[in-house]
Amino acid sequence: MHSNLDLSISNLFIERSERVLCENFSCLIKAGEVARIMGENGAGKSTLLKIIAGILQPLEGKILFAGEDISFHRDMLQKHLLYLGHHAGIKSVFSVAENLKWYCPNKDIDAIEEALAIVGLAGYSDSPAHQLSAGQQRRIALARLWLTDKKIWLLDEPFTALDVKGVSVLEGKIKQHTNNGGMVILTTHQSLSDALCVKEIQLVS
Amino acid sequence: MNWIWFHKLGSPKWFFQWANKWSKFAFVIGVLMLSIGIVWGLGFAPADYQQGNSFRIIYIHVPTAILAQSCYLGLGVAGLVSLVWRMKMAPVFIKAVAPLGAVMALIALLSGAIWGKPTWGAWWVWDARLTSVLILFLLYMGVIAIQNSLDDLQLADKAVAVISVVGLINLPIIKYSVEWWNTLHQPATFSVTEAPAMPMAMWLPLLLSTLGMYGFIAAVAMWRMQTEVLIREHRSNWVKKEILDNGI
Amino acid sequence: MTYLSFFNSEVLAIFRRKQDAVNALVFFLLVITLFPLGVSPSKEFLQPAAGGIIWCAVALAILMSVEGMFKEDYNDGSLEQLVVSGLYLPVLILLKLVVQWCAVMLPLLILMPILSQMLFINWEILWVLILTLIIGSPALFLIGTIGAALTVSLRRGAVLMLLIILPFYLPVIIFSTGAIGAAQVGQPYNGQLAILAAISLMTLTLSPIMAAVSIKASVN
Repeated sequence: MHSNLDLSISNLFIERSERVLCENFSCLIKAGEVARIMGENGAGKSTLLKIIAGILQPLEGKILFAGEDISFHRDMLQKHLLYLGHHAGIKSVFSVAENLKWYCPNKDIDAIEEALAIVGLAGYSDSPAHQLSAGQQRRIALARLWLTDKKIWLLDEPFTALDVKGVSVLEGKIKQHTNNGGMVILTTHQSLSDALCVKEIQLVS
Repeated sequence: MNWIWFHKLGSPKWFFQWANKWSKFAFVIGVLMLSIGIVWGLGFAPADYQQGNSFRIIYIHVPTAILAQSCYLGLGVAGLVSLVWRMKMAPVFIKAVAPLGAVMALIALLSGAIWGKPTWGAWWVWDARLTSVLILFLLYMGVIAIQNSLDDLQLADKAVAVISVVGLINLPIIKYSVEWWNTLHQPATFSVTEAPAMPMAMWLPLLLSTLGMYGFIAAVAMWRMQTEVLIREHRSNWVKKEILDNGI
Repeated sequence: MTYLSFFNSEVLAIFRRKQDAVNALVFFLLVITLFPLGVSPSKEFLQPAAGGIIWCAVALAILMSVEGMFKEDYNDGSLEQLVVSGLYLPVLILLKLVVQWCAVMLPLLILMPILSQMLFINWEILWVLILTLIIGSPALFLIGTIGAALTVSLRRGAVLMLLIILPFYLPVIIFSTGAIGAAQVGQPYNGQLAILAAISLMTLTLSPIMAAVSIKASVN
């Protein structure tokens, strides 16, 4: 299980709205690594994450996961994937706890309440999600990280709406996840602590 | 069978150059046949013993109706090609041909009305054929509407491909249901397509104008596609060279 | 997430949004009322026209309710999460549709006996009407879903969706009203019902896949 979760990308051609963002992009990310996609604003960092997740398709290139070619169908990767994108993905018609149950139906209410407490939303579990601020809703989405069994995490700007304490809590979780053999690929404007041993991957256009 | 030509046409550059040759040919032949057919039909073909001279509008009505239908079939096939084989030229085809098909349907409707007035005494009758063309026109307007409403090019291409394929599958059902509905509500009248044993002097100009219309529409479609190709591929070198060498 | 948990959450969501289902019903009633008020409330007009009036109103009501099926999910990002969930998207769409169908059609079917009195429909004809609704409405929902998926990224896509989808509703309306008309003059109507069933089955195979393709293209 440990070594077989490597993600290999080769010769990716990334285009968005008629602009070429990146040509001939290749990289290899191994299980247990924290990879940070570096690049300027608009360079295509979020787009790359979306391509890996399967929301977008690249014009050219190959993606291999655990030895299998997933360039056209990402199901195999998606079964092991947790994607936190630009949108929180929190439904306003549900309560906070119901939202987390939507993502992780096999977790009981105790685990959910524990996760909410860690992200600073203790006591909110029965509140309707639409009553929370945008920042709080992002933290609900982050709580998924403490409830999930998925090994591959794609996090797009996960540190937004977090204070200093929140940042260190999240960094701790990421460290714990990769120590257990998981993989984290993220983008952020935040400078990350050295303890994470981040592998930096440049997106050059 | 050698499918290389099919895949070659899928490349925008190859298509552009191919169309340069063939569009002129199609246009000339098309206009020639069309003018002969229409002038012959409108002016010289023998008058129908039942309808007199008013039936002559058939030389415009039938070709346009046939073209309207063929173009829609073309849209459906192009949609399928776009979704299954992801050919770059397929959405270009759809975008180019949809307005042409809509215009054909509109002319078919108007000429049908012109025919209807002296024949049935009304500008419009809910006969199966005319109703089908009306629905076809509305289907075209839907394709055009969705093309114009979606800004993201990739989404727009996918969307028109989906709606074209759905339309293609539904078209026989719609036609069948309209015909069935018509048999319930309308006594059997002279049907447009049933040209009963037309003498050659009558159907030959009809054939000519139909073929001519195909050629004409093919030429215009190719020109429209060429324009669209230039727009879409504006970043590539061959387009820049083409414009610098030959102007727009 | 599993298919079952998704289905349960959709049921929960519908219960939380009861107003939407009520809106569809009220809209349906309003359209029905237009005809007696706009044309004639007499039995001579309403009785033969009743099948058609109800079917036109049903078609419009279904369109209105299906139109926003994916909008909220698109806006809050949960649609995107469904795309990356690893589950088969066409099945998820179908599950969502089943819940939507129950939410809209079950109250409507319950309303039918009352409506039959308002439009002077006899009991035997009412039975045919209900049959056509049960057999034909899935097709309307399924085709409508494709339109909803295509226009989900547009802020004001409702009219566009009506425009592209209504022509595809015509066969269902024609055969349903044809069956009701045949029943009204004592003719057999099994053929029409069979065709309706065929159309519904055909759209069942086509629509979830097409809608999934459209959603994937819209979510970016």
